[in-house]
Amino acid sequence: MDFQPTDEQEELRDSVRAVLRQACPPTLVRQVFEAKEGEYDPAAGALWKQMTALDWPALTIPEQYGGLGLGFVELCLVVEELGRVAAPSPFLATVTQFAPMVREVADPEVAAAYLRPVAEGRATGALALAESSTGRWEPALVATTARPDGDGWVLEGCKSWVIDGAGADEIAVVARSEGSTGEDGLGVFVVPGRTVPGRHLPVIDPSLPLAELTLQGVRVGPERVLAPPGRPGAAAAVRRAVEEATVCLAASTVGTCRTIFETTLQYAKDREQYGRPIGSFQALKHRLVEMYMLLERSAALATFAALTIAEEDERRTVAVAMAKAAAGDCQRLMVQDGLQLHGGIGFTWENDLHLFLKRAKSGDFLFGTARTHRAAVARLVGVTA
Amino acid sequence: MKLSFDQSVEDFRQEFVAWLAGHRPTVEEMDADPAQSSGHAPAWARRWTRRMFDAGWLVPGWPPERGGRHATPTQQLVYLEEMARAGVPRTTNPQGLGIVCPSILDYGSPDQIERYAMALLRGEKSACLGMSEPGAGSDLAGLTTRAVRDGDSYVINGQKLWTSGASHADFVFLFCRTDPDAPKHKGISVFIVDMDTPGLSVRPVPEIVDPRHAELNEVFLTDVVVPASNLVGRENDGWAMANGSLAHERGMVWVSSVIELENATRRLIDEAPALLAALPEDERGGAADQLATRYIDMQAARCLGYLGFGRLLKGGSAPEQALMKMFASESRQELALFGAELHGAAGLNPTVNPGVVLPLSTRDPTTWIEQYFRSFGVTISAGSSEIQRNIIADKVLGLPRS
Repeated sequence: MDFQPTDEQEELRDSVRAVLRQACPPTLVRQVFEAKEGEYDPAAGALWKQMTALDWPALTIPEQYGGLGLGFVELCLVVEELGRVAAPSPFLATVTQFAPMVREVADPEVAAAYLRPVAEGRATGALALAESSTGRWEPALVATTARPDGDGWVLEGCKSWVIDGAGADEIAVVARSEGSTGEDGLGVFVVPGRTVPGRHLPVIDPSLPLAELTLQGVRVGPERVLAPPGRPGAAAAVRRAVEEATVCLAASTVGTCRTIFETTLQYAKDREQYGRPIGSFQALKHRLVEMYMLLERSAALATFAALTIAEEDERRTVAVAMAKAAAGDCQRLMVQDGLQLHGGIGFTWENDLHLFLKRAKSGDFLFGTARTHRAAVARLVGVTA
Repeated sequence: MKLSFDQSVEDFRQEFVAWLAGHRPTVEEMDADPAQSSGHAPAWARRWTRRMFDAGWLVPGWPPERGGRHATPTQQLVYLEEMARAGVPRTTNPQGLGIVCPSILDYGSPDQIERYAMALLRGEKSACLGMSEPGAGSDLAGLTTRAVRDGDSYVINGQKLWTSGASHADFVFLFCRTDPDAPKHKGISVFIVDMDTPGLSVRPVPEIVDPRHAELNEVFLTDVVVPASNLVGRENDGWAMANGSLAHERGMVWVSSVIELENATRRLIDEAPALLAALPEDERGGAADQLATRYIDMQAARCLGYLGFGRLLKGGSAPEQALMKMFASESRQELALFGAELHGAAGLNPTVNPGVVLPLSTRDPTTWIEQYFRSFGVTISAGSSEIQRNIIADKVLGLPRS
């Protein structure tokens, strides 16, 4: 039982952190926040170019698909660093959402066609799962349909809250055969991003841009079928991929929360009132300790979840729900007290704090809020049916 | 990072589990003569301590002559896990084994080591810790019990309060002021005082749930004469022994509290479906949400323990333990309160188990409302939750002093 990173893992984390400190300063995040709607293209920026030049997208793609084959724990370490700087980049959607879906669902030869370009830094991806009618990242609730059409399929439906959905090269779409319900009849397809114009959704956190995708008679050829509707095990495979994406978002949120916490802690040490640092007042001290406690709690549970995925542990599903719930609990207090303890300066657009506060909110509201995941925990441990 | 322990650690675990199965005290044996307080070592407990000492399972990290087997910290961790899991109290006198004994071994004279520390390890004596006073609780260094040198003796006058197990212990590890003019941390000395010394008297303090039961005591000291040879370490050098930093297993004190939290949480989770079904429909969602939080906190406590333990192995510092103490004890309190609330009016039933110290009892757990009130024993004692917050603020977060 070892929750400490190995030397290699620490080295990876430190090198990613060092690169991001240079390549993703708050001024870059601010540019994204201040860009006009739809103007920001995650894949066009220098940050993504540097990430691909450093082979980051390849880190955790299996070696058989041209990747470096690192494990899920390593991915979470990288993603936490991305969250720390609120990195606006296609990494999260491409590497933690699109790639796991392809890997889990597709046969190897089909998977190779989509994972190699990702590993080589030539393609970005996104995952279209949730729909506006339910607002859940739950495969059993998918309503989008796939109708056979010759050797291919035709997709009909509307996907919402797709991260990078308006810019990604390839989009994995979860759909079902007409007339099927629940876990039956689910299939997964890859749609070229340029063929489905995504509508930008107005969001408070532009560093994770969201889009709505209207699929109106979108035809996909046989080479773009990751799993035909109704393939046995498809629902479970989709769930596994979603679990990876969920833990990564939790890890990213933990990273963002670390920044909020460290910034607030420093502010409490520097800011003086009544002739002394405000951090010397016990009323503030204890609130900062509370923040630290929830930060440690979320980090510990994110690590646990990452390990259950990396080691195929049977506690995996409940660990994922706990990690996302804990990250949500953590950001809730970080945003609340981080802003409150900064006082007036935190309330301004000019101060960088809000960039991270908003990113933290994205981290909770996407892929299920803390409440959603607590309900899952209650179900999984047998409290509710 | 990994979820498993090395094979050598698992082998060690198996060896202990097998030994435990063959040598543990039976439930009948323990229930027939339960420990009345944390200073009480019933006959079975003394035999049990001796058995562990002889087999090198009492303090596995120590050498064989001190009841151990040179176990590594990780081996000690799984040892504590298995002990807690088996529902066997490792000792009925935790402050004796965990704090007093290592302090005497580190600071005591050869004679003190033989007569007191080794007696604790062999199950021949039990000890209590004389620290808090009416005017010195969280501000422990403000203690005023006075020891004055008189030839080959010291004469002690003063009063201790909240002394756990004092009504049953054989001796007290007593913190006294020997230099009233020095800065308050620098004038403190520690003495070993046999509880039957003339001038020492104990008044049990009836406890909040059941007045027939008293874990805590007042200890009055009136002209108590103690031989100078009972001074532990050097005069005025006692504060080093006060902050618990000597506790040999300080990185692992969380293990038993986490497993107790785990057992209690699982009991409530087991009860939950029936309790939820009895609630009006519009209350069920909220209750399930809170139950999930209780479950998550329980798992988080364990993960936080492993996280802090890993840091300790890498040379981290003890303040991590402040977080564990605070988190585990407050989670336990929340659990008990929520468990009681879920029962509605029926949750008011205390069904007290008379005279049984809860963590040492093998009997059916008492009701949630009783556990709730008892849980304050942990959030208040050994550095209250507020003191733990101050420690974390100062030592971990580096916030400026008030």
